[in-house]
Amino acid sequence: MTKKDTAKKTVAKLKKNKHYRPAGKKREGNAARYMTRSQAIKQLQVNLSVFRKLCILKGVFPREPKKKVKGNNQTYYHVKDIAFIQHDPLLEKLREQRAYQKKIHKALAKKNEDLATRLRTREPSYTLDRLIRERYPKFVDALRDLDDCLSMVHLFAALPAVERLKINVERVHSCRRLSHEWQAYVARCHKLRKVFVSVKGIYYQAEVEGQKITWLAPHAMQQVLPDDVNFSVMLTFVEFYETLLGFVNFRLYHSISVKYPPILDPRLEALAADLYALTRYMNGNTKRISEEQESGSTKPEHTRGQLEGAQFEESEHQLPSNEDRALMHLIEEDDDNDDDEDTKKCKKLFKNMKFYLSREVPRESLLFVIPAFGGVVSWEGDAAPFTEADQSITHQIVDRPSQGHMYLSREYIQPQWIYDCINFGVILEAHRYLVGRVPPPHLSPFVDNEAEGYFPDYAETIKRFEAAAKNEVLPMPGVGKDDLDDPQLLLAEGYLSRTEAIEVAERKKERATSEKQYLEDLKQEVQGHPDATASIAVEGAQVEEESSRPHLEQVAEDTDGTALMMMSRRNRGLFKAMKIAKDKKKAKVEKLKQRKKQIAEST
Amino acid sequence: MGVSIPPKEADRLKNIVDENGGSSDEFDSEGEASEGSEVSEVATEEDGGSSGDEDASTSDGSGLVDDEDENEGSEEGADANGSSSDDEKASASVDDGLESGEGSGDSDSERSEVAEESDSSEDEVAPRNTIGDVPLEWYKDEQHIGYDIKGKKITKKERQDKLDSFLASVDDSKNWRKIYDDYNDEDVELTKAEAKMISRLLNGKAPHADFDPYAPYVDWFKWDDAIHPLSNAPEPKRRFIPSKWEAKKVVKYVRAIRKGLIKFEKPKEEPRFYMLWGDDSGAADKTNHLSYIPAPKPKLPGHEESYNPSLEYIPTQEEINSYQLMYEEDRPKFIPKRFTSMRSIPAYEDAVKDSFERCLDLYLCPRVRKKRINIDPESLKPKLPSRKDLKPYPSTCYMEYIGHKGPVVSISTEFSGEWIASGSTDGTVRIWEVESGRCRKVWEFDEAVQYVAWNPMPEFPILAISVGQDAYLLNTGLGNEETQRKVGELLHVEAAKVSDDSS
Repeated sequence: MTKKDTAKKTVAKLKKNKHYRPAGKKREGNAARYMTRSQAIKQLQVNLSVFRKLCILKGVFPREPKKKVKGNNQTYYHVKDIAFIQHDPLLEKLREQRAYQKKIHKALAKKNEDLATRLRTREPSYTLDRLIRERYPKFVDALRDLDDCLSMVHLFAALPAVERLKINVERVHSCRRLSHEWQAYVARCHKLRKVFVSVKGIYYQAEVEGQKITWLAPHAMQQVLPDDVNFSVMLTFVEFYETLLGFVNFRLYHSISVKYPPILDPRLEALAADLYALTRYMNGNTKRISEEQESGSTKPEHTRGQLEGAQFEESEHQLPSNEDRALMHLIEEDDDNDDDEDTKKCKKLFKNMKFYLSREVPRESLLFVIPAFGGVVSWEGDAAPFTEADQSITHQIVDRPSQGHMYLSREYIQPQWIYDCINFGVILEAHRYLVGRVPPPHLSPFVDNEAEGYFPDYAETIKRFEAAAKNEVLPMPGVGKDDLDDPQLLLAEGYLSRTEAIEVAERKKERATSEKQYLEDLKQEVQGHPDATASIAVEGAQVEEESSRPHLEQVAEDTDGTALMMMSRRNRGLFKAMKIAKDKKKAKVEKLKQRKKQIAEST
Repeated sequence: MGVSIPPKEADRLKNIVDENGGSSDEFDSEGEASEGSEVSEVATEEDGGSSGDEDASTSDGSGLVDDEDENEGSEEGADANGSSSDDEKASASVDDGLESGEGSGDSDSERSEVAEESDSSEDEVAPRNTIGDVPLEWYKDEQHIGYDIKGKKITKKERQDKLDSFLASVDDSKNWRKIYDDYNDEDVELTKAEAKMISRLLNGKAPHADFDPYAPYVDWFKWDDAIHPLSNAPEPKRRFIPSKWEAKKVVKYVRAIRKGLIKFEKPKEEPRFYMLWGDDSGAADKTNHLSYIPAPKPKLPGHEESYNPSLEYIPTQEEINSYQLMYEEDRPKFIPKRFTSMRSIPAYEDAVKDSFERCLDLYLCPRVRKKRINIDPESLKPKLPSRKDLKPYPSTCYMEYIGHKGPVVSISTEFSGEWIASGSTDGTVRIWEVESGRCRKVWEFDEAVQYVAWNPMPEFPILAISVGQDAYLLNTGLGNEETQRKVGELLHVEAAKVSDDSS
């Protein structure tokens, strides 16, 4: 009897202890699958900063277990993730580095400068290529994750080198170089799709191998380095991203058969015209390769190719005047058939246009953007391909209140014009963007206005303009089918006499009206049967409605209520959340409209 | 096939040197006096060198001096005499011979030692020609091929023309064993043994057939009666400790390396980037890692983030002020601003901070795959049947129960459905017949009736009501006598209490 009692008591105890596990039984469930961060650190035998570094480099992130065994305010890692880190040679390498640093430290403490410097020459290092391959088994995976990488690299390219924060010069330079290499590739292959100048920087969107890659490049200004930022974390990220971007660039360059890393003209590099140097390098290189491939096909082509190759190789101090034409030629020439529709469109946007950048415009951005859309560009400064005096310049981009001397042969426009043209995909009228004017609002190309429910004014203007442009460019529909369709055209061409033209016009009108009639009939026929009854029903309903409108409203409310009551609890929550989101959106749009109204009233 | 073999040369040279030392007057008689004396000088010095074999350094030094002298001598000779080219060449050749003998003076002695040991070279016949190791083409145009031991010219043999030699070779069955010796200008016929030796050498075997390279080792030492080791000395300590001198040498090298005196070649730097994703075909296989959840991409900027947004996107000053009153979490993170030209855009002060926050999100935020439903919220509502489908239900007023003067607060239906009890604020409780609308009974109270309820048991048709602070059980008087009796009994037991007005 007493024995039974005690047994019962223990059972009760067991039930009370939620996570009790009998002696021989394995741990299982969430308790076995997840561990907290401190447990992980203990297992790996590293300190927190090293753990952080490992997590960043290996791409390990915390997980959200269904049941948080150790409490709610803990970060949980999957056991497999931690094992994954534990088996990585990198862990051992980091330990080794730490031990080595201790050696150096010791030497310094003993005032053995000599030994310290000697030790520093042979510090153990590690490479990340294996990790990259592991994290991104396919190239497309890497491209998919490239957004953050590019933003970060572009940011670090704009940061000042600060020794205190361990942002060293080499890092900044390599970031700068990598970003330029990426830009050169995008420009060369016309992969850029959208550009948006925001307060935060310039957003670019490119489409590489079917992946939309968006990145943010900060404005070329002195960046603020805040104190509450842990730079060591950022530097670890940059370290990884640098390697990743390097490999991605290699692969991309390889795909267009250009040697990587590119060897640049040192003079252009010294003048900080890296991007231009890169484009030239790429053009020259691909040119040479294609030349080799098609050598002996046709003689004139061959000689011309040689000429250009020679031009490139000279790294001449005075660029020949036909240089830009050679560049243009290159852009024209490689009209690959495998380009998709978008690329073809992008390639032709600024075709046959020649731009000249003034001192005050953001040069790096424009040097990247204009060639990406098929334009030819030069700038004010050393090593520029052509000078301001060049008569063939069609557009000069200026960003100053007024321009002194003006050439009549070219348009003087603000840089926003370029970006707007790119985003809308058409050449806009320049008169809104002339020097000294306040340009029209710059709209984000990433917003779907219809989904948002609000059309800014300028978007609508552009839409109309676009439609008009299309009408102009596109042939009238049906011209191909029937020659008689457009008598005006025929008249102009002198095929028909005037009377005949009138006759044709009349005939056409007749045909149009008959067609219209027919269409209407058809429509009625299709809708006819249900419509006949429906219209009556609707009329009846209307009569009813008029008699008891408040009543009906009441009914609608009631049904809404009952429907809400009959939903499952989960669905109801979802429904409410959705409604809140919708209301918020609506409120936002309302606010915009209200502000617009206010502005209209005040002016 | 050159028959002259270098080791034999040593002997030959020795012979020559001896010859010189012995009779220098022979040269004198042939060449001019000055030249002859020069040669004799060389010869004597050479003698000294060869005799003092054990002192290698001195012989070397003399060799050097000798060289110079010799050169001078030849020059002088060229300058001084206009004698016949034959003579000069002869002397020069002799000189050369001497020189080569001298140059290898050091090794010469060793070789001679080796020669003494080996019995094979003893029985070699010295060559007929004494010109030494000079190119034979020097004698190409001469009548002679060199000089014999006595210094007499050896005249060339008359050469057979090719046809004759060929015919002779065809006739002679032993022709394949014949070899022409350029150096001595004679035909040599190899013996059978020699030919065999050559063939064995060509096959990579020992030259003598009776030599067995793998013969079992014969231990000639007599071990039989030895009880003691050959040496009883203990193993010296030096055999157990690392060499001091070697250690010193190593330290010397190490120091030199540290100081940078010894430089190593830098390891060849491999290109940092290479084709990492060569072919993606093999990469498809998934390991047993957890599935990778890519981080959600940052939100794309809207119109309001533009440097030059439409005016309506910019909040008024009042709105901006009102942000201050909000909780920090609710406050908008970004306040749109407008710049009229691109040159006036300043640096974004939160650029680094934003980027840092993104980094934190990337490595600190737990990632979970969530299905985002993008549907019309209205579709979540269950489809209600339309009102028409719910018919028949009374849509017109069928019956009115008239009698209450105030609003009815509570209704209760009897179990059988025959009766309805209603309580009103006018303080009355009525029982109605459902079918006819007739009022069966009325109770009146002082206060408003709050609630009416029938007894759910069919055998006791009792009505419970609450009025103000009190609750009453009312006998409705329904049912037959039997039930009435039962109800009466039930309520009678409690009657005293009820009459006491207890609640």
